[in-house]
Amino acid sequence: MIPVNVAWRARRYAAAMNTVPPFDAELLRRYDRPGPRYTSYPTAPRFTDGFGEAQLREMARQSNQDPIPRALSLYAHVPFCFSPCFYCGCNRVITRDKTRGDAYLARLVREIALVAPLFDRDREVVQLHLGGGTPNFLAAGQLAELMETFAQHFHFAPAQRRDFSIELDPRSVSPADVDALAAMGFNRASLGVQDFDPVVQVAVNRVQTVEETLAVIEACRRNDFRSINVDLIYGLPAQTLAGFGRTLDTVMAARPDRLAIYGYAHLPQMFKAQRQIPDASLPSPEDKLALLQLAIERLTAAGYRYIGMDHFALPGDELSLAQENGTLHRNFMGYTTHADTDLVGVGVSAISHVGDSFSQNPRDLPAWEAAIDAGRLPTWRGMVLEDDDVLRADLIQQLMCHGAIDKTALEARHEVDFDAYFATELARLPPLLADGLVESTPTTIRATSRGRLLLRIIAACFDRYLHAAPHAPETPIRHARAI
Amino acid sequence: MSFGAGKTLRTSPIADDGDALRFCSTCAFSESCLSQGFDKAALADLHVLVDHVGPFHEGEHVFREGEEFTAIAAVRAGTVKTYVVDPAGNEQVLGFFLPGEVIGLNAIHQSRFPCNAVALDTVMLCRFSFPQMALLATRLPGLQAHLFRLLSQDIGKAALLAGDYSADQRMAAFLVTLARRYSQRGFSATRFHLTMSRTDIANYLRLAPETVSRVLRRFQDENLVLVERRELEVRDPARLHELARVVLRD
Repeated sequence: MIPVNVAWRARRYAAAMNTVPPFDAELLRRYDRPGPRYTSYPTAPRFTDGFGEAQLREMARQSNQDPIPRALSLYAHVPFCFSPCFYCGCNRVITRDKTRGDAYLARLVREIALVAPLFDRDREVVQLHLGGGTPNFLAAGQLAELMETFAQHFHFAPAQRRDFSIELDPRSVSPADVDALAAMGFNRASLGVQDFDPVVQVAVNRVQTVEETLAVIEACRRNDFRSINVDLIYGLPAQTLAGFGRTLDTVMAARPDRLAIYGYAHLPQMFKAQRQIPDASLPSPEDKLALLQLAIERLTAAGYRYIGMDHFALPGDELSLAQENGTLHRNFMGYTTHADTDLVGVGVSAISHVGDSFSQNPRDLPAWEAAIDAGRLPTWRGMVLEDDDVLRADLIQQLMCHGAIDKTALEARHEVDFDAYFATELARLPPLLADGLVESTPTTIRATSRGRLLLRIIAACFDRYLHAAPHAPETPIRHARAI
Repeated sequence: MSFGAGKTLRTSPIADDGDALRFCSTCAFSESCLSQGFDKAALADLHVLVDHVGPFHEGEHVFREGEEFTAIAAVRAGTVKTYVVDPAGNEQVLGFFLPGEVIGLNAIHQSRFPCNAVALDTVMLCRFSFPQMALLATRLPGLQAHLFRLLSQDIGKAALLAGDYSADQRMAAFLVTLARRYSQRGFSATRFHLTMSRTDIANYLRLAPETVSRVLRRFQDENLVLVERRELEVRDPARLHELARVVLRD
């Protein structure tokens, strides 16, 4: 569908989005309920094994046949970590055995060689991201081999038009490593910090000094990285306002271009590492909200803008500019300035988004390894989006990126009568309207400044699957709470 | 206001179905028959065999090269691609047939189909027995003139892209021609769905697939067109036509 006017009313909305949202503890507490984060719609738990290698090949073939095929984004997952951070809910493997990196890299290289021929060579790679786990579990030489393999099998866009990013664990990256990463073409980095408070660091099994962190930031700057992101987490065990306040002061002084402030989601029944965190050590819901409030106040004072969900950026950062001119997008890698790309994910658990399909590799290492060793694409599950899914994905994307739903634009793009099509969904809005989270006009549904921290709650109103028949009890789908 | 309002082509266009008394909205022959004072009921009296056939699904063949030719067919819905395979085994795309257009005309002189015809999406056809049609044409001078017109158009279409034209000129001529053909059948001339793949367009225009995309991207940068997946919007028909003029000779 043709985006009739991508920059719809973006400027008017930008005025409301410029500041960090005001804080309303009572409201946040009331809406602190589990819900998906909508890095995709439909969300990954909806994928089924009816979608496999053959379907991925067909979707890729079709995607090559668009008059102007989409540009590509690449993602590689490196699952290994040297030690377990207790809060982590990611797919990862704890090991100190560096030889596992060699074996993993060899299969990544084979997977890239298997999947790359599905895509026509003139499709430029404009975005690349290495995530984990800990991507820098692989040594600089190994990462260079990975990047050379990508470059050999795909067609990279010219340097000025591409964003190549990597998640870094400052505990195992030296400034010299950052120089090597820059030489490989990386121009963005995201650093895990969480909290500098030594008591918290011990409680979550992640001891990381301010000095080594700042040294990595400094090295990124020296190499002219376009942006540096820092991840913080509130709601961790033993976290205090005083300690987190010092962390915020330290981070603000380093002035990263972007910040992500995630709420810790304690789901020990799902994530084994989290069982190391005693419930009693967690801050109370009131304390957790106070930590978020503190973070928002400090960020506001330091001039950061709220982008959406958990993300903040300096006013001059590309994300802030993209939000102003209506070109902000969101995909599995988070907020981005790149228009719709087809995403090719390699490595264990990696997700791909090709045409109107999602697909995912096996989450367990042996299954992924077996597929690669057999010379097969390791597609484990996925789905082809129906028209209804595409419409709702577009709606949720608008909400997440611009804080509003433009009914007229959606009606034009998807040939529906919005109010009739979404009658059931609109009937879920009155409580949110009454609480001042959203405003509704005949043509627009807009998150208010109060509602902007609760975008996922608003989005959930339009999630067809969330409100469909409940899942069988033996396969519950668990989500983190909203805050 | 809305992109989807009215008769736009989100998927493939489908004609209004005719019935015993009315022609399909895209009928290739209705005009010449009606102008002669024959309505559909009168044609039935003349035992003209008109069969609605289909659906043919994407990739299904309507006919293959060498098959015996007994009927010509008008496209009611969808797009049909005709092609031959050269001695080296390479496909050569001959043309694309949209709703209201007639396929099989190039088979008339040798009574066998000289090419393959394949559905690019869901295709519905209206099939006419050619001997019966020819007989009817002897009694309806207007119909005969129309048949000759269709035949000469078919020849002209093949010659259109044979000249020494630039990639930009070929692409512009292709888009202008598509827009005209759609609008002649009552569909939007500025917004349509490209049912043909990039490879097919490239093959037809004798360009590389990446050239098709490069030219379209440049057209888009120059605000001549807007392309999103398979949807195409002509933003500046006048400038596009100016580019195509040398090919179209009009």
